[in-house]
Amino acid sequence: MSGWHDTFLAMLALAAAIAGFCALSLAMDRHWEQLQGRGAALTRRARRRLRHAGTVGLLASLAACIALRGAGQGWVAWAGMLTAAAITLVLALSYATRGVMRLGWGATAAALLALGAVLLSGDAIISITSGL
Amino acid sequence: MKEGFRQSMAWLHTWSGLLVGWILFLVFAAGTASYFRDEITLWMKPELHSASQTHAAQASQAGAIDLAQQTLEQRAGNSRRWFINMPNARNPALEASWIPAPPKGADPKARPKRREFGSATLDPATGKDLGTARATRGGDFFFRLHFDLHYMSAIWGRWIVGACAMCMLVAILSGIVTHKRIFKDFFTFRPGKGQRSWLDAHNVSAVLALPFHLMITYTGLVTLMFMYLPSGVQAVYPDKSDAFYADLNGGPSGNTRPSRELVPLAPLGPMLAQASRIWHGAPVGRITVSNPGHANARVNLVLQEGRDMTQALPNLTFEGATGKLVAGTETGQGSGALQTRGVMYGLHVGRFADSLVRALFFLSGLAGCAMVATGLLMWAVKERPKHLKARKDGSIGFGLRLVDGLNVGGIAGLLLAMPVLFWANRLLPVGGTGRPDLEIACFFTAWGIAAVAGLAWPARWMWRLQLALGGALFALLPLLNAATGGAGLASSLAHGLWAIAGFDLVSLVLGVLLLYASLRLGPRAAVKPRLAGSAA
Repeated sequence: MSGWHDTFLAMLALAAAIAGFCALSLAMDRHWEQLQGRGAALTRRARRRLRHAGTVGLLASLAACIALRGAGQGWVAWAGMLTAAAITLVLALSYATRGVMRLGWGATAAALLALGAVLLSGDAIISITSGL
Repeated sequence: MKEGFRQSMAWLHTWSGLLVGWILFLVFAAGTASYFRDEITLWMKPELHSASQTHAAQASQAGAIDLAQQTLEQRAGNSRRWFINMPNARNPALEASWIPAPPKGADPKARPKRREFGSATLDPATGKDLGTARATRGGDFFFRLHFDLHYMSAIWGRWIVGACAMCMLVAILSGIVTHKRIFKDFFTFRPGKGQRSWLDAHNVSAVLALPFHLMITYTGLVTLMFMYLPSGVQAVYPDKSDAFYADLNGGPSGNTRPSRELVPLAPLGPMLAQASRIWHGAPVGRITVSNPGHANARVNLVLQEGRDMTQALPNLTFEGATGKLVAGTETGQGSGALQTRGVMYGLHVGRFADSLVRALFFLSGLAGCAMVATGLLMWAVKERPKHLKARKDGSIGFGLRLVDGLNVGGIAGLLLAMPVLFWANRLLPVGGTGRPDLEIACFFTAWGIAAVAGLAWPARWMWRLQLALGGALFALLPLLNAATGGAGLASSLAHGLWAIAGFDLVSLVLGVLLLYASLRLGPRAAVKPRLAGSAA
């Protein structure tokens, strides 16, 4: 069981980091214009929301990494996850600009699914369901 | 100061990076490969592929240690020291090795060379000798190359690598100062724009893996700190570095002479079980037995790697004759300084990492290779217009030509030489003496030819040729593996041999990327004459 639990946690860590970086990059004028055409401007509110969403994504990734590898090694894993996620995003923005929005929503959905799977495969939930 | 701080940092960044860049590329590439040292070694011994899939999972530690002890008592009864590596997820075989007994009348202080060690690779479930595997250095070659270099004494190699690592640290720190837009350009890569693109690629590969680059460079220096800064140790341990390392690592100190009294070694199994109990069920990794069969025999057990981040793993020492626990620690705790060094060392070598974290380290290492390579190329790309402008006839100066040549040989040449090692591993006849050295000679011959050719013709077609050759050699490795007795991709995937399948798949991806790079340098890209002669 812990094998699957760890796999879901790793998926959550990566997907949340990708989704988070997606939001953070779109909060930047240059990348927003890349997607929406020149001169497209973000409202202040939208920018703030994107930044908040991005922060939540990265923090969720950190939490998943710490749950996966403990407080010490979790940070190391997180640094690696951020690198992998950011490289993914740079490649997407450069070579598949139109796909970035889909990547963002896809990663968000994957993160939510992984989160659900983590909760379902976690010890707490298992003990509750087996007690019923 | 005439120039601003940032400008002087830019100067420092350029030269501290360029002058040692080719060695840094070698260190980064070999170091990145070393994260999969065990997997590379396994791939390079195709005779073990089928064995590794069958028994590893079922074998128990207790059974395996009995088999190792039997084998060692038969084959190395009068040896001074035994080493046993228990099977683990990355290396499923049971490894037993020993220092042969010194010949009568030999200087008792003389240390046997590593290659004189006897060794046996055993099936952990049956004890069958798997020793039919071909002789090869395997992944250890890249590991050693990474800090010892080759064809020179290890001490020289380490000094050279250390000096280069220091330059790397300077280059990273000055690079951070020079880079004005770390966050603004965080996600920015604009392909197909000449110099701009090279700068973007350099920035992205540096910034996105910056925590790794800083960590790996600094901790790399820490791994060899007692060599680079020896005064402290010498002050406290004058002339007794053996005693220092024994204290540092908590292992058995130096080489104690065997006592005259012969007492058979107690069974190792119960010691292993006791150690595991003390460590809350965590398995034992390495066992060292000194003076087996003598009254003063000592057995040292070290916790298995792959759990704690620190390199200073807890270890326990037992009396060999009685099996009584005499010294050791439950955890790897020591003084704060010791723990700090242990964690830094551990972070660098990454043995704590599971396959996920290991893959992330590998990816970051590749980013490091890309950072060094793009930095080297960018110097040439920036310099070229100046030369062309100054000289009208389209020729370039000696310095630029030299850098161009070294870039071809140092980057494309190395990427060509690495797969040559794997091809040599499979195509050289098995058996015969000096086979491992012959493999390595093939690696350096290929690299030497590539370097000479690169220096002689530092042109775009040479880049294309070497990248295409390296790419083809990498991409065809899975086929070579299947054709020369290894577990082919279909079989390794079907049997869950992830080490072998992973090697094949990563080689395939690297090969395709190199082929793509070669293709991208083709006529379509040559439209920009400004950049002719370099990779664009």
